[in-house]
Formats: sequence, C-alpha cells, structure tokens
Amino acid sequence: MIEKTLKTIDKVLTFFEDWTLFTTTMIALFTLFIEVVLRYGFNKSLGWPEELVREVIMYTTFIGCSAAVKNRSMVVIDALPQVVPRLKRPLTFVSHAFTLFFSVFIFYYGWLNAAMQVRTHQKTIILEIPIVFLFAFLPMMGAGMFLRTLHVIWEDLHPAVKEEKPKQPTDK
Amino acid sequence: MEHSYLIIVFLLLGMMAATVPVFMSLFFGGVLGILFFSHYPMMLVVQSFFRSMDKFALVVVLFFILCGNIMTAGSIVKKLIKVANAVVGFLPGGLAMAGTIACGLFGAISGSTVATVVAIGGFMIPALIENGYEEKFSLGVMTSAPVLGIIIPPSISMILYSMVTNVSLEGLFLTGFVPGIMVIIGFSLYSYFHAKNKHYVTQPVPTFKELVAVFKEGFWSLMLPVVIFGGIYSGAFTANEAAVVASVYAFIVEIFIHKDMKFNDVKKVVVSSAVTSATLLIIVAGATTFGRYLTLQNIPAQLADAVTAHIHSPWVFLLAVNLMLLVVGMFMDVISATLLLTPVFIPMLYAFNIDLMHFGLLMTVNLGIGYITPPLGVSLYITGAMTNRDLIYVSKSVLPFILIQLVILAILSYVPVLVLYLPKVMGYIQ
Repeated sequence: MIEKTLKTIDKVLTFFEDWTLFTTTMIALFTLFIEVVLRYGFNKSLGWPEELVREVIMYTTFIGCSAAVKNRSMVVIDALPQVVPRLKRPLTFVSHAFTLFFSVFIFYYGWLNAAMQVRTHQKTIILEIPIVFLFAFLPMMGAGMFLRTLHVIWEDLHPAVKEEKPKQPTDK
Repeated sequence: MEHSYLIIVFLLLGMMAATVPVFMSLFFGGVLGILFFSHYPMMLVVQSFFRSMDKFALVVVLFFILCGNIMTAGSIVKKLIKVANAVVGFLPGGLAMAGTIACGLFGAISGSTVATVVAIGGFMIPALIENGYEEKFSLGVMTSAPVLGIIIPPSISMILYSMVTNVSLEGLFLTGFVPGIMVIIGFSLYSYFHAKNKHYVTQPVPTFKELVAVFKEGFWSLMLPVVIFGGIYSGAFTANEAAVVASVYAFIVEIFIHKDMKFNDVKKVVVSSAVTSATLLIIVAGATTFGRYLTLQNIPAQLADAVTAHIHSPWVFLLAVNLMLLVVGMFMDVISATLLLTPVFIPMLYAFNIDLMHFGLLMTVNLGIGYITPPLGVSLYITGAMTNRDLIYVSKSVLPFILIQLVILAILSYVPVLVLYLPKVMGYIQ
C-alpha cells in the first residue's frame, strides 16, 4: 500500500518535474538566443528575456533539487563512509533526516514569504509577474524534496524494492 | 563571544562529514550562526537564500553544463579526439598527447572536469591500452588531463569565483589559457619521455589527404571554441550569452549536421542538465546564507587581521594558502570550496596586494589537483569505476601528473605575469 502510494507520487512528480524543467530551460535558451541575434544582427534589444531567464534559473534550481533527491545526486562529502564503511548506512539516514527537516523549514518560511507577497502585491519590473508566484517555488521545493526523501528512505529500508538507478555524476 | 564562529565552523564541518548535502550544511550553519549570535529575522535569511538565485550570471552554469552534455551525448567528442590524434598521434607518446589535447579542446567548450573525464577518458583509456601503452600510465594521464576542463575557460569554478569577487568573468577566463597550455605541454613532455623509455610503437605519420579529411570531419566541432571565444572577445556577446549560443550551436550541429542526436534525446539531455545545474547552483544559495552570517559577524576581516599579524610576506602567504587549499581539495569539491573560502580570502588578498584574478586562477588550478588526490578525488573514482581498478591503483597512476601540476602551480604562484599577461593585454586589468 505504502509502496504503491509512493510510486504513484513518484510518477506524478517525475512527470511534472521533467516536463516543466524541459520546457522552462528550452524557453530560456531560445529567448536568450533570439535576444543575442536581435541585438547583434538588428541592433534591437527586447529587454525582457533577461528577467525571464533569471526566473527560469530560480525555477530550475529549486525544483531541480527535488529531482536531485530522487537521483541521489546532491553534492555531498562522503569521506567518512569511504574511510569507515560501517558508518555508511547510519549516515545515510542522518542525511535523510536533515533533508526532511530542511524541506519542512523551507516549506514553512517559503510559505510565509509567499503570503507576504500576496499582501504587498509586488510584481517583477518588466514582465509584471506577481512575485508571489516566484516565492511559491520555495514551498514547492520543500514539498517535492519532502516526498522524494520519504521515497528514498523507503527504498533504503526495503532494498529489495529499490530500483536500479544510475547516479548522475555531479561536478566535484 | 569572540570565537563563537569556531562553534559554527565545527557544526558546519560536522554536518559535511555526516554526508549532509553541502548546500544544506552551509544553509544550516548560516541559520544557526544568525539565530544564536545575531538578531537577524529568519524571514530575511530565507529571502536572501531565495534572492541569491535571482542573478543573470548564473545562466552560464546551466547552459555550459547543457553544452557539455549535448557534446557527450552526440559525436563532437569523438571528432575532437580524431583531430588531436591526427595532429600529434605519430609522435612518441602521441596517443597520450592526443588525449591530453582533446581534454584541452573539450575544456574549451565544457567547463567541467567530471564531464571531461567521462567524455574523453571513456574513449581514450581503452584506445591507449589497445595501442600497447601501460595500463597504469594510461589511467594516470587520462585521469589527470581532464583537469583542463576547469583550467581552460569556460570554467564553472571561475564563473562562481567571479560572482563572489565581482572580477570580470571575461578577464578571469583569459587567465586560464597560459596555465592550460602549460599543463598540456607538461603532460605531453612526460608522455613523450615515458613512451621513448618504454619503446612504445608510434603511429604512422598521416598523409596530407588524411589530415584534410580529419579536419573536414571535425570542422563543426572545432568551430565551437571559435564561436565561444570569438563571440566573447569580439564583443558580439557576453560570457553568459556565450553559453547560450554554444548550446544552440551544439544542438544544431548534433541534430542537423552530425545527425548523432535524435529529437527524443533532447528532453533527456536538457532535464539531466537542469538537475545537475540545480545541484551546483543550490550550493551558491547555501553559501550565500553562510556568507551572510560571516558578514554579520565580520569574520573575514577578523581572520585577515589574525593572518596579517603572523604572516608578513605575500610569498609566505601564497605558500600557506596553496598548502591549505591542497589539503582542502583532498576532502572538498571545487565548487563548495570556492564558494566557502573565497569570501574569507578576499580581505587577505587586499592586505597582501595580490591580484584577485591571479588568485582566482591559483585557486582553480590548486583545487583542480583535488580531483586526483585521495581520499576524495572524484576523477579517481570515475576512472576506477570505468576500468574496474581500485582507488590505490588509480591513485598511484596519477602521482607523476600530480608532481607536474604542483610544479606548474608553484610557477604560476610566483610568476603572476604568466597568468595576468592576457587580461592585461586585452584591457581587463589596468
């Protein structure tokens, strides 16, 4: 039952993360490319792509963290478990506990910050996007990371059901 | 509490040692410091964590990672190796030199050492062994040469250093060319004498027709660094925009010209690049929170006072810092170390009158050595996994290359003109 629920959540989150990360990154790539072409080739500048790209970076970073928890590709310093392999398992759970705490923390304070933006009605300068939408990335990140961490904890507690997932290399 | 920061540093190192993600360790370190030793509202701490991502300059990280991933998924890498092999492959040790030069070419497009190890090492190690090179030497050269990924611009660690120090990124990029060429020459000379000593069979000299064919095949791949650096230094676009142009160019070349990438692969490559970029950029956000704590407590200035009270010569300071960074590099990744330590070093650099660009390059080269030093040299683990060899075997294989890099680091530390000549000529330093 728990496994089925976690798998369903995983599927929904993966679909959402993959498609939104793909779409936002491609939009940023092509708007910025068009901006360079217009400025260099036609001496004209749109202005707004820079703001849009900053928002995309915020989105891809905060939402990408949730996907990184699933892939176990967060940058960590694993010197201790390399030297003392017996510590690997307990330290994995310490790390999970910190991630759960961080998720709750960032969800709570992200929510408070977003709520404050609702009251102040602040908007971005050029595109006039309500800033509450941007601050909403924080509680979204918190919720995504929380659910993903529960899933990886479940996988670690039940190694038999753990799926083979290639670990993404990150830049040390 | 005069030394309250020691408690926070101890907690930070404890969390990092307990395999808590680096960004979280920095974030919680900063939060605890602010909570206990200042009266800064937590809402504002989270706001600064959030706002740290609201920087246009960060776009360069995402898109240079994307560009590197497109090249690895397609065939640009193979073509770069072919070109390098055609140019130097006939010399004694030529294939190893070709691998080193290919790392340099790949480094001039990607900004990551890990990507370079995976992309070039994966091809070159079996090729070297097949051509009669000793396994230990083959592993050594192809584990060490990918450091060119971060020395030769664009470089992710330089990008982050420039963000922290506000030095010109274009200028900082220029500091990497001469050291990159020095590493290529150093490794190539060692390969030459090693091959002579071991009497490896050399490859035949390519005919002019063969050379033309290889260059024709590799033309679009070789144009990528030309587009990046030609664009940046002709003023057509900034270093940030160069990452975007390079990614679009790489997509066009792989999908429409080389036809080695399908539209279906595009989503996979883009999503994996966005996630990799997130794991790096979130460290910037964590480091911003920790940096806020350091600033509120005025810790960098206190440390600078303490250091200048005991060290009076810039030479001794550079020696001490280099030794410290070599030890740090053994345990910490280059991104985290750059973001954590740079704000602490800035006041000391001013005190000793050391150029920020010079130091940025030294930090990159120094921490780059950390990729191949145990116990946590990531390149050692990647090569070990690719070749089924243990950490001790791979660590021994890179020893001569560590020595070469240490000699180069010493030269760069005490002959700053080698580093600063290009930025001066191009007008980035007065």
